[in-house]
Amino acid sequence: MKTITFDQKKTSSIALEFDELITDNIYSWTEEDFAEYKVPVGNSRFPITDYFDITVEGEAESPAEVKMILNGDCNRVKYIGCKMSAGEVVVNGDADLHVGAEMSGGVVTVFGNVAAHAGREMKGGKLEIMGNTKEFCGASYIGEWRGMSGGEIIIHGNAGKQCGECLVGGKIHVLGDCDILAGIHMTKGTIEIDGNVNRWPGGQMKNGNIVIHGKVGRLLEGFVEQGIVTDPELDGIVYPGRYIEYQGDIALNGKGTLIIDAEKNRDRLSTWIEEDDEYNAIREYRAQ
Amino acid sequence: MEYILKNGIVYDPANEVNGEKMDICFKDGKIVEDVSADAEVLDVTDKIVMPAGVDPHAHVAGPKLVVGRLYRPEDERRGVAQKTKVTRAEAGFSIPSCPTTGYRYSRMGYGTVCEAAMPPLEAKHTHEEINTIPNIDINPLPLFGNNWFVMEYARENRIDDLAAFIAAMLRVSKGYGVKIVNPCGSEAWGWGMNVHGYDDKAPYFDVTSREVVRALAKANEQLGLPHSIHIHPNDLGHPGNVPTTIATLDSIKDIAKSTKASAGVRDQTIHCTHAQFHSYTGNSWKDAASGAEEVADFINKNPYVTCDVGQVTFDETTTMTADAPMEYDLFKISGLKWANKDIECETAAGIIPCIYSPKTPVSTLQWAIGLELFLHIKNPWQVCLTTDHPNAGPFIRYPKIISWLMSAEKRMSMIDNGEVHKWASKRTGLAGLEREYDFYEIATISRAAPAKIHGFQDRGALTPGYNADIAVYDINPNDFDPSKDPEGVEKAFSNAYYTIKDGQIVVKDGDIVSTKQSHTIWTNVIGYEEEEKQIIDSIMPFFTQYYSVKWENYQVHDHYVPNPTRVDVEAK
Repeated sequence: MKTITFDQKKTSSIALEFDELITDNIYSWTEEDFAEYKVPVGNSRFPITDYFDITVEGEAESPAEVKMILNGDCNRVKYIGCKMSAGEVVVNGDADLHVGAEMSGGVVTVFGNVAAHAGREMKGGKLEIMGNTKEFCGASYIGEWRGMSGGEIIIHGNAGKQCGECLVGGKIHVLGDCDILAGIHMTKGTIEIDGNVNRWPGGQMKNGNIVIHGKVGRLLEGFVEQGIVTDPELDGIVYPGRYIEYQGDIALNGKGTLIIDAEKNRDRLSTWIEEDDEYNAIREYRAQ
Repeated sequence: MEYILKNGIVYDPANEVNGEKMDICFKDGKIVEDVSADAEVLDVTDKIVMPAGVDPHAHVAGPKLVVGRLYRPEDERRGVAQKTKVTRAEAGFSIPSCPTTGYRYSRMGYGTVCEAAMPPLEAKHTHEEINTIPNIDINPLPLFGNNWFVMEYARENRIDDLAAFIAAMLRVSKGYGVKIVNPCGSEAWGWGMNVHGYDDKAPYFDVTSREVVRALAKANEQLGLPHSIHIHPNDLGHPGNVPTTIATLDSIKDIAKSTKASAGVRDQTIHCTHAQFHSYTGNSWKDAASGAEEVADFINKNPYVTCDVGQVTFDETTTMTADAPMEYDLFKISGLKWANKDIECETAAGIIPCIYSPKTPVSTLQWAIGLELFLHIKNPWQVCLTTDHPNAGPFIRYPKIISWLMSAEKRMSMIDNGEVHKWASKRTGLAGLEREYDFYEIATISRAAPAKIHGFQDRGALTPGYNADIAVYDINPNDFDPSKDPEGVEKAFSNAYYTIKDGQIVVKDGDIVSTKQSHTIWTNVIGYEEEEKQIIDSIMPFFTQYYSVKWENYQVHDHYVPNPTRVDVEAK
């Protein structure tokens, strides 16, 4: 096992690009190799040692045997773990754009906040963000209709707009709140949101699952109520509790499943037919 | 500057040189018989030397490409390469940027490419793009098959007027020849319709595809243009389109080839492009099968017909064609994002991404039909190597296609190992074809034949006086079995040892070492000036009323073509 530690010496106003410094490329590097390496900064390159003290401990014969540790404020370091296939990356601080984008394996953990584009078009592995992230987490890149296709993203804070756009596989779990259009255009996979959702989750989704444990600001008209479900099971996972189930987005003949917490979204039940026995439980709840 | 390519093994089909060890000399951009003792020697001992490649049909410049690049930014992310001291940054896979297009053709040893669909209304922009593509000369073909004036002349059988109109439009658009796409069908698309079969009428014009194609062929031969009509027939991509294809080709049988010197290089009076897309039997995709043998038989029996194949390469690519209704059909099948473009009074275009997967039956069927055409057509001078770039695949896959053609073992292993869908063996005859191309035939279908078909008299051969457009590949054919090493073939043809363009070394060992301004090849008809003036005067009221640009802005002025290769045609 090899541990490569990057201790930050100074920050840069222009972002450093770390797409070459991934476990797949550097698993055999020595401290001397790093001393010779120049990192892209804008349209130039500068020695990586200008920005980090780098220590290498142990040996590795493959990317899977490498652990990269970045200590410091990396909010001007882009592409951390981008396209990596194995190994582990730990960032003890914030990180900039494209963390874990297009990664196909391994684990990236960020103990801080992350800028936009985290985990875009991720194919496998695990990306865990202990803070918040911004737009397009696990989404497709512009023009592409296939977003994250495998692996798992866990966000302990909040996620920005269009989280899981064009999702075609894998799972995104947001423990905090989520901004608008989570799961837009998704065709497969699961998005689970523990907090509240601003508006329009699942817009133009064709398939897949969205589970929202918090309150939803506004739903698109293309979602058709299917009724109340208790302890629903989606793709083999049981979500305890009572939920309102929708299918959509019928604007695209979609057959996706959207379940939202019944208790926190009970205002949505006001238009339901009082005589319908199916909703007795909700009526009782509202009467309390 | 003088050079001598020393001790290469030369394949030059136009001069019937088949694998002979010899020296090739060139000086000041031209092939010469001999050079002085001061000539720089380029040692190519036991390496293949051929004329630089000529692509007879591709889409590399013009408005469709721009729309494609704009709406497929995801394609631009594929194939990114950093700039070097010589090259600009590269981007794009199926629709690469303009400089990237030039670099990639150069690396494969190509020197000339036909831009196969230039709407006259958008000709200025096409030429602007051509000017930014380095290292390859480009001859753009203006679109005539759905032009309103053409359809009226065809309906009234006014061949003299049509000839004058073509002459004028080649001059106005700086075009090279007559391109026809889904005649009458793209006009019908303006009304949300298509034509089906060869004798369907364009709505409101009361003219059939047959009448349009025959009229254009007659006018083409009357002018004696270097290239024949270049047709994308009706019903592209539709199961059961073989009768339409053969009816189209057969309808030209009685039209004699021009006796003018300018048309003397070629043998054909019709060139059928991307024949693979026009060789399907059946009534729907459920029972579709290969019609390649039937189409190839027709071509074998009729030397006035040539074709290029449009070989599917199993890639995610971008389809783009002036056959806009076909693109809509494709959109309805795949559901992928679709772009549509109308060119007022002239043509239309559609664009949609397409994923050709070896695991899907239809893609495999198309792949096998393309190879069947190559292998069934006996005379390699009647068939050319293309992918209809980017429609059936990007042009960078030509080396892979060459490897398939040179190795029956490779083809069979793909079928037997389940690398391709079982439709390849169940619905086509590919598995029974053992023919393998040799290097001489490869040189024919990728250089000599396309140059001859386009009527070029300055390229496609290593004839003294011709342009010094030369490709050298790092293969010793006397010590190499392409049948057993298809990967080696692909690698060598992907990275030319030398590519020489107009006497300038632009590629060495697969790397771009210099760049060169492209030439735009266009046809200047001489002798029809008075008729051209009359025809332009006659169309001007209509033009002024219906076109959204003024005639003065419609014309491609000389400064849009800063590096022309003008082909003068004495039409009278």
